[in-house]
Amino acid sequence: MSDLRPRLRAVLGFLVSVLFVLPFYWAVVASFGNSEAGVQATIEWWPSNPRWDNYAELFRVVPMARYTLNSLLVVLAAVPITLLVASLAGFGMSQLEPELRQQMVRANVVLLLVPGAAVWLFRFQIINWLGLLDSLWALVLPAFAASNPLFVLLYYWAFRRLPDEMYEAARLDGAGALTSWWRLALPLTVPTTIGVVVLTFALYWGDFISPVLYIFDPLSYTLPIGLQIIKQLGFQNVSLLMAAAVFITLPVLVLFFVLQRYFLHEWLD
Amino acid sequence: MSRWRGARGYAAQARLFLAPYLVGAVVLVVLPALATVVIAFTKFRGVGGPEFVGFNNFRALFDSFYVRTGLWNTLIFVVVAVPLRLVAALLLALLLQSRGRMFGLYRAAVYVPTVVPEVAYALIWLWVFNPVYGPLNLGMTALGLPAPAWLSDPVTARLAIVLMMSFQIGEGFVVLLAGLRSVPRSFYEAARVDGAGAWQAFWRITLPLITPWLLLLTFRDLIMSLQNTFTPSFVLTYGGPYYATTFAPLLIYEIAFDFFDFGMAAALLLLLYVVMAAVVLGILKLVTQLGGQGDV
Repeated sequence: MSDLRPRLRAVLGFLVSVLFVLPFYWAVVASFGNSEAGVQATIEWWPSNPRWDNYAELFRVVPMARYTLNSLLVVLAAVPITLLVASLAGFGMSQLEPELRQQMVRANVVLLLVPGAAVWLFRFQIINWLGLLDSLWALVLPAFAASNPLFVLLYYWAFRRLPDEMYEAARLDGAGALTSWWRLALPLTVPTTIGVVVLTFALYWGDFISPVLYIFDPLSYTLPIGLQIIKQLGFQNVSLLMAAAVFITLPVLVLFFVLQRYFLHEWLD
Repeated sequence: MSRWRGARGYAAQARLFLAPYLVGAVVLVVLPALATVVIAFTKFRGVGGPEFVGFNNFRALFDSFYVRTGLWNTLIFVVVAVPLRLVAALLLALLLQSRGRMFGLYRAAVYVPTVVPEVAYALIWLWVFNPVYGPLNLGMTALGLPAPAWLSDPVTARLAIVLMMSFQIGEGFVVLLAGLRSVPRSFYEAARVDGAGAWQAFWRITLPLITPWLLLLTFRDLIMSLQNTFTPSFVLTYGGPYYATTFAPLLIYEIAFDFFDFGMAAALLLLLYVVMAAVVLGILKLVTQLGGQGDV
């Protein structure tokens, strides 16, 4: 495939990337439209009369500020806890004897193959026993298991790439494991941390299933539930629905595009 | 002597770092998953204790028209969507692996549908698929193509969900990019010296070397299909029309949290898990016999 003509490859690459962002682009255009004024007969490529009012309307039809605050609180708790648990575990793994290390990698791969649905039923019971139904902590809970075994593996691989002699030298200088992790390993693996932050943020900010299962008190609803409510209110107002979709998506996309070059490159080279 | 003790102390500390994660994973993932296996053989409605009932839940599953329909839909979804997603991810990785100037941006663009929050993604496609004023049908009509009813017709509704999910392939795409980068360049140069074209190089060098990655992604995608159709079918169609988009996750959710029959939901999960394990082992055996690397 390597001698596919460079120009053809560039054109195809451009077209494919347009295709992947096109629905979101349409949604942005529609979010500035006025769908109550009548149905468009052609695809709109640019908002003819940009209206910010759809975004203000979101806050009038549902308590959007409350949902946003709840989502922010969940993310603010879940991201640091995930970073702490995942990086500590990754570091612990990287310092094990080679055999144990391999077993831990295998155990993590097995954990990766457990789908969320397999734990819904019993996790509901655990959350119930802990008295956390309706609490935002029910949504933060997976962070205590590093949110995703992949994050532990990413840290493990990053820490393994650092030379063994470096850890050895620090140890001979009298540094404990805590110092090695905090002063040596973490500062040298910033791209991994950035990547885990972005992925964890996206995971909790967009989490729909957990609040559907564990949250019944409207005061604890998060943004994804807010979107579902706006849809269920029966609005045929496309502009309002798209404004809601853009409102929840924009923070993730901005974070992703600003930071992707720090970690996507790192992981691929 | 003291240095030896220091090293041991260091190792013990490092082991301790694993503790929070191990406790979290056991309590939140391993135990709940194992408990499901036990609950599958009990009558358990959330309140009161579970009561052992043998294989009754499994019998009830096969007696239910709703469950049979859902399983049939899941089978169709897996057979169509998993290969489609895998091939799409591979083609995109082959196309966009270039180190050219704009390609970093193109790769990020391909990842976009994967990071868009699921509900927002579903709402956007709800509008894209609108038969009258959705951009998809407006575009198709403009090109002189027929305008399908999409979400309100059982056949096209299933297709619509497969279609929208075929864009959420960022994970597989990144994994395959990493796989392609791990193929030594000297292999391709040697092939070129031997007069092999790009097509031959792909079949003889690239494909065999990335087979383990493809297998891993197939297995993960198979298993994740127990979960990843939940939000699309919940938000877009709530399983309809005529149960056409009731896939395994929605089925499990309904049985457990609408009918409060945790035993039956657990039995369904266990059944699906056993079937998938059989499929995974079958594929592995097939690949080994075909002369692929057995040590995946």
